[in-house]
Amino acid sequence: MVDRPAEAVIVDRGYRHFEGTRKGRPGAMGAVVRDGFRRVLGLRRKGRRKILPWTLITMMLISVAVLSALHYAANRVGVTDLVAEELPHHREYFEFISRVALLFVAFATPELLVPDREQGVLAVYLSRPLRTIDYLAAKGMSLGILMLAFLLVPQTIFHLLLGVFSPDGFTTYMLDNLDVLWQVPSTAAVYFLGYASAALIVATLIPRVGFAAGIYLAVMIMLNPLAELLVDTANFAGSEYGALLALESHPHLVRDWIFGAATSGYPVTRAGFEPWVALATIMTVSVVAVALAWNRYRRLS
Amino acid sequence: MTPLFSTRNLTHSYGDVRALDEVTIEVPPGRIGLVGANGAGKTTLIRNLLGMLQPASGEMEVLGLPVSRESLDIRSQVGYMPEGNCLPLDQTAADFVGYAAELAGLPTDAARRRSSEILFLVGLHEERFRYLGDFSTGMFQRVKLAQAIVHDPQVAFLDEPASGLDPEGREHMLELIRRLGDFGISVVFSSHILSDIEETCDWVVMLDGGRVIRSGPIEDLGIADSLTVEVLGNPQPAARWMTERGATVKVAGAMLDVRTEGLDAFTLVRDALVATNVGVRRLGQSAVTLEEAFIREAEEGEPRG
Repeated sequence: MVDRPAEAVIVDRGYRHFEGTRKGRPGAMGAVVRDGFRRVLGLRRKGRRKILPWTLITMMLISVAVLSALHYAANRVGVTDLVAEELPHHREYFEFISRVALLFVAFATPELLVPDREQGVLAVYLSRPLRTIDYLAAKGMSLGILMLAFLLVPQTIFHLLLGVFSPDGFTTYMLDNLDVLWQVPSTAAVYFLGYASAALIVATLIPRVGFAAGIYLAVMIMLNPLAELLVDTANFAGSEYGALLALESHPHLVRDWIFGAATSGYPVTRAGFEPWVALATIMTVSVVAVALAWNRYRRLS
Repeated sequence: MTPLFSTRNLTHSYGDVRALDEVTIEVPPGRIGLVGANGAGKTTLIRNLLGMLQPASGEMEVLGLPVSRESLDIRSQVGYMPEGNCLPLDQTAADFVGYAAELAGLPTDAARRRSSEILFLVGLHEERFRYLGDFSTGMFQRVKLAQAIVHDPQVAFLDEPASGLDPEGREHMLELIRRLGDFGISVVFSSHILSDIEETCDWVVMLDGGRVIRSGPIEDLGIADSLTVEVLGNPQPAARWMTERGATVKVAGAMLDVRTEGLDAFTLVRDALVATNVGVRRLGQSAVTLEEAFIREAEEGEPRG
């Protein structure tokens, strides 16, 4: 009778060298971008980390569904005047989704930057084929892609559904509304720059995600009334420049300018400036934010 | 053979403090110990070699590549385990180590596969799907080691890898480091605990106050050529006899510490005892520890390449 051998146990699988191709710097940047998506959306994180981003995404999808349903219902009953005049279109829809986007940026920007910095993970990043500027650019790409998707996906769905529901037919509607194809992406880009650059400044300076998000929202909300106060009631020389502080309202003004709507109600225009001044302010704040982040991270690394 | 790394007149300052002072060394592949007290310049040297810090002056090469021009290429081929915290607490070990591999340029599928393999290697296979925030210090250190080697580097720079570990964890970590050499991965292992280096490395670089006080094979620290002799009677004649023939002799009571260069120490002691007619009570090879060697070199104070 043959003895039964003892059960085999793998005690050491040894070590295998990697023999494939390494992607170098582009591969490292791509990894940071993908990790940014996962981090912001709470993917491969604990359940509570998913609540906020997915609540905001759900709000966007519900809003586009409700708005499209209103257009569909109005078209079905033939109230074309209502559709043309009263129901929100792309510009007005930005009014709603930009508020949600503000909340999204408020938590997403510090979420992308603060934990790496405060938990010391930067030391790992910078020991890889990645420069400080690559790291910041990759984080910026993550935020930009997510934010543009956040703004553009509902608008695209909305546009396509408007075409489907149009009494003139899909093709005619699309051809009649070609301007939307540049107006919506341009506006989304302005919202991204306007909101994300201020968030970048806060996330660069504040060491906690929740604290940074709160400060950002407080600053953005409080600067508008402060700017209005300076424009409307202060009468010292140069008080009109206080209008430039209204960082939250600049993207709305530029949006109305892009869509050809009236721009008279904003602090910047009430102070006597042209709408392009709001765009210039957004660009300036963006440059300052990038310079500040670059300087801070250069020192950290 | 291409040196693992070399530096020429490397100087790095933090304000007025010189962390590295005209460091010139050439180190072969293998298990390299970087020893020195806290503040000796170990971390600064590693971070300069990785191109993470810019030196005030001097030149460096790692794996034959100049750090000033090829730091990104170098970083693709090396791993780094920082001394402090460097782990995101909200990720699982598998996700983070896989991500670390992707950061080194590995494709996603290969990164995931290697993450699993390396976590098995460091003894964390069962825990790989746990969040890092739930890990103990010992597990943290092993994840830090895993992220440093997951992309199959040619050399891993480990900054105080056994820091904060209990004796069992320390022994496990040293065993892992020893095994890296067997896998063909060179290791540069910094520590201020000299016995760790002694157990693990085959080459040692001693740093003191930003200067290299010795760089060489660990077996060349004087152990082989050093004898301790306890004599009966007056040791001075024998000491003088040996000193006249080129040996370095220290006398402490009846004990003689005899160090020779280029001479067989046993033969020299035998001849000295016969010539001076002194009896011997005890004779043996000196157990010069790395700690003693470090103190000796630091006291001599002359930098040597």
